[in-house]
Amino acid sequence: MKREIKTPITNDDINSLQVGDMIYISGKIYCGRDAVLPKICRLIDEEKLGDIDLVGSVIFHTAVSPAGVGPTSSNKVEIEGSFAKLSEAGVRLHLGKGAIGKETIAKLDEFNSVFAITPPVTALLGNNTISQRLIAFPELGMEAFYELEVKDYPCIIAAAHNKSIY
Amino acid sequence: MNDRIIEIVSKGVVTSSSSFLPDKKAVYERVIAKETNSQAKWTLETICENARVAERNQSPLCDDTGVPHLVLDVGTNCVVTGDMLESIKEGVRQGLRKLPGRPMAVMGDDAHRIDQSLGLNDDPGALDAAPILIRSIEEDKIRLHIMMFGGGPEIRSKTYRVFHKHNVDTVIDEIVSWATEGTKLLGCTPGMIAVGIGRSHYEATSMMIQAMVDGKFDKQSEMEKNITKRVNDAGTGALGLGGSTSVLATFLKVGSQRASGVRIVCMRPCCCIEPRIASVEL
Repeated sequence: MKREIKTPITNDDINSLQVGDMIYISGKIYCGRDAVLPKICRLIDEEKLGDIDLVGSVIFHTAVSPAGVGPTSSNKVEIEGSFAKLSEAGVRLHLGKGAIGKETIAKLDEFNSVFAITPPVTALLGNNTISQRLIAFPELGMEAFYELEVKDYPCIIAAAHNKSIY
Repeated sequence: MNDRIIEIVSKGVVTSSSSFLPDKKAVYERVIAKETNSQAKWTLETICENARVAERNQSPLCDDTGVPHLVLDVGTNCVVTGDMLESIKEGVRQGLRKLPGRPMAVMGDDAHRIDQSLGLNDDPGALDAAPILIRSIEEDKIRLHIMMFGGGPEIRSKTYRVFHKHNVDTVIDEIVSWATEGTKLLGCTPGMIAVGIGRSHYEATSMMIQAMVDGKFDKQSEMEKNITKRVNDAGTGALGLGGSTSVLATFLKVGSQRASGVRIVCMRPCCCIEPRIASVEL
């Protein structure tokens, strides 16, 4: 079943999602990967998020560069290690690729978040990206924290409610 | 420097990063036709649609545009000069700017480049190619193979010794084990398994790279078919979603071997858009 999900994502949206669901995400999403996600987690700890509104948000594990966007491996230490903190702070959907661990899947469930995967289809995603805006840590270049406005980003739910495809 | 070579190499970088070769398109058509898992089938179709758009636009297949790896075939009566090598490097630089490649050259001295504390260079062309691998061929030609290596497969690649116990199956079993684990964690499946077997870690890696140059999706040896089948039997599937295709093929090259109970094996679980390759004559 294919369905559309718009950000901000509600708890009801998450409750209705099941592993294997094919969804299309539209709205504003955040982008971050290895370098910046630990820094976002520190901002959460220090209560210094400022204008970053994580409640109901999507974080796409990608760099943002002139080459476009596409999923990086979510099981890299600094990315997977951020799932619990970000979910607790309100991130509802983590978007990337690759198998994640059982403990992470349990943490997602604890905070009512899900993990979705998408193939590396940069040329297609480019057509579905409306705008991009640098949000924080510009010194990280392509690994800075970005916000994208997107329409119909295709993905598949890989982990939800303590179940997964792995 | 040689402007003609610079232009040829620059175009090659763009082609390698934006196009599937015909045998790869054909193998995708075959696996889509037989895939019964609906999510995996959708993934395979989406990967192919992305390839069509990238080829049409001459734009990157993947945002990780990769690190250039070059193999230079030199004919028996041909001469390679230092100027030619510099022209190749300049062609790579210009190709990365034209693509555009992802600006991911890490700046600074040894320590800075390890911890990435001085950040990244904004210039896509600042990304150096890996050292050029040169080999001789019988044709009277100089041919450059340009490959772009993405980061995901590098995390899952492995070069290690295998005690073969004088049985080829011992080595194949180990390759299948590494490849199955690697493809499961990779995410960007189905790709292909590139394998090199040699006497040293350098030689095994060199064999693996040559396997990526010479391998064909539509011409597989019995050992290659065996590895592919057994990795696919594990059921990881496209994007880890299950289904019948975790890998499309195996590209294996076995080099000279040491008189020893040990074989050095290099295994790279390549992603769904690899080998990103173009071959140009200089």
